[in-house]
Amino acid sequence: MAVFRRGYERYNGPLTGTAARLLVMPRFAWERILSHRFVVVLLMASMFWPLACIAFIYVSNHADTLLGATGVGGGFSKMLEINGKFFNVFMTVQVVFGMILATVAGPGLIAPDLANNGLPLYFARPLSRWTYVLSRMIVLLGLLSLVTLIPGLLVFGMQVSMAGSTWLSNHWSLGIAMIFGFLLWMLVVSLVAMTSSAYVKWRVVAGALVLAFFFVSAGAATIVNQVLRVQWGSLFNPGYAIGFVWSAMLGLEPPEDGPGVYQYVISLSVTIVILTVILMRKLRPVEVVS
Amino acid sequence: MTPVVSIDNLHVRLGRREILQGISCRLGASGVGKAIGLLGPNGAGKSTLIQTLLGFHKPSAGSAQILGMDCHKESAKVKAAIGYMPENDSFIADMTAVSFLRLMGEISGLPPSAALEKAHETLFHVGLGEARYRTVGTYSLGMKQMAKLAQAIIHGPQLVILDEPTNGLDPAARQRMLVLIKEMKEQHGMNVLLCSHLLRDVEEVCDEVVILKDGKIVHQADLEAERSTNRRFVQLEVTGDDRGFAAVLREIGAEGVSESAGNWRIVLPKEIEIGALWRITSREHLRITKLAYRRDTLEEIFLKAVGHLRPAPLATTQEVPVHGGI
Repeated sequence: MAVFRRGYERYNGPLTGTAARLLVMPRFAWERILSHRFVVVLLMASMFWPLACIAFIYVSNHADTLLGATGVGGGFSKMLEINGKFFNVFMTVQVVFGMILATVAGPGLIAPDLANNGLPLYFARPLSRWTYVLSRMIVLLGLLSLVTLIPGLLVFGMQVSMAGSTWLSNHWSLGIAMIFGFLLWMLVVSLVAMTSSAYVKWRVVAGALVLAFFFVSAGAATIVNQVLRVQWGSLFNPGYAIGFVWSAMLGLEPPEDGPGVYQYVISLSVTIVILTVILMRKLRPVEVVS
Repeated sequence: MTPVVSIDNLHVRLGRREILQGISCRLGASGVGKAIGLLGPNGAGKSTLIQTLLGFHKPSAGSAQILGMDCHKESAKVKAAIGYMPENDSFIADMTAVSFLRLMGEISGLPPSAALEKAHETLFHVGLGEARYRTVGTYSLGMKQMAKLAQAIIHGPQLVILDEPTNGLDPAARQRMLVLIKEMKEQHGMNVLLCSHLLRDVEEVCDEVVILKDGKIVHQADLEAERSTNRRFVQLEVTGDDRGFAAVLREIGAEGVSESAGNWRIVLPKEIEIGALWRITSREHLRITKLAYRRDTLEEIFLKAVGHLRPAPLATTQEVPVHGGI
């Protein structure tokens, strides 16, 4: 029967589970975000660097054949080696696309709900504040994975397929480091994007705030280091801290002086906790005036 | 039968202020579609009570239950059983009404296909069928109110909490909203908790009423019973010789006073039926040209409860200064 002929009836059918409900908001958000042409173009552009890296991997794994033909020596062959440095460069370039995506998609996640007083509607349903935040975070984690984790795994998988199991058994830690490195970066960036979205109504300003967070913290850290002639000011620079942790996980040589990897991990953990507290304070179904 | 809302010595403190000061009541019965009106002057604690029932505030003492489930400890279960229509504009502005309702339905636990079907069905039900593909942000105030009602009922909740549902509606839209609320309880068996400043709305659709003042319940009543207990004031217009009518009224145990020729105001004791008046007027060869009940309106009940009108031992005494009394 046509829907307009049918009267309203109360729904008495089966209900979905908690996990399915958790993915409802991300599904709707992805549909909306991916309808923007700029996002699609950005996603396509973000694939060029992984493709270049895959080409590099091909060259690296066929160096003997290629270099034998040209007569270039073994020093050049070492330069083509796929190691921690290669993945560090790959990740550093790829997160630039991720950062642009976060500034475009992040501000539209929470700001409209706050501007339209939509939170009471969500929280009057079987959805807690933590579930709401998790749902919103899944939106960003999913999108950022498209430009970081998934291309990263493709690149790593390509290297494994070409280099074989011996390379994998010697370098499996690079894959783990890349996964956890990207996850750490996505967590921090998602929290920054969501917090700015929760506090700033205008999307452009909220997007700018995401970038400002990293630039201002880098500037502040540099000032502390220069004025006090120390290195621990870098602990206030989340961007640098993430890069340092990546380097450590990828087995690269850390700088000799300054804080170590554990100090940077603690610094990032404190940043994550502070951002979460600030975010949760804003996400209330009703304002309470004390 | 489990009460729909059961509140036991509920205290809610927001900041340093205690908003709800130990309220207790049992309202409605599950499985029976009833509407409960929540009334009170500004700052009485109505919104805080609603928000506590929704699990937005933690009680500082006491407890509140909906359909036998604790609003704070079993918040997820409670929220699955209720629908909430907030007072203020609440929607996702850049979504079409269908998408908005689908989203709300799916978050409430409806499978995607059922949510889409119910979204269309509910929008037609509230009269937004033709506008269902427009973004909610472009709706008029009345349409937004209807969209809010639709999102509250899309999942077929057992209890619907409506906060000022007729705010800003023109008379026709207001009537439409009241009809929908009546249908919700009478045809679909939903319980309704209606918070409104418009006493006529509450009077029109509610079966029970709770009046709050300064964070306490000052009056709780079954409206139907309240109406029937006050069905004692009769205004009578007769033609014929009514000089002995006062004495005849006393014979049947009623009291009456003639305000002018043929105009009588009569107080009937509870046990005397209105038919007795027809019998004595017939016996006295009087012809009734007008007979009207006068009962306390909800407004009078409300004003008495919040202390703006002194409760009278007999309601008729309220009219003494105007009509000279009986």
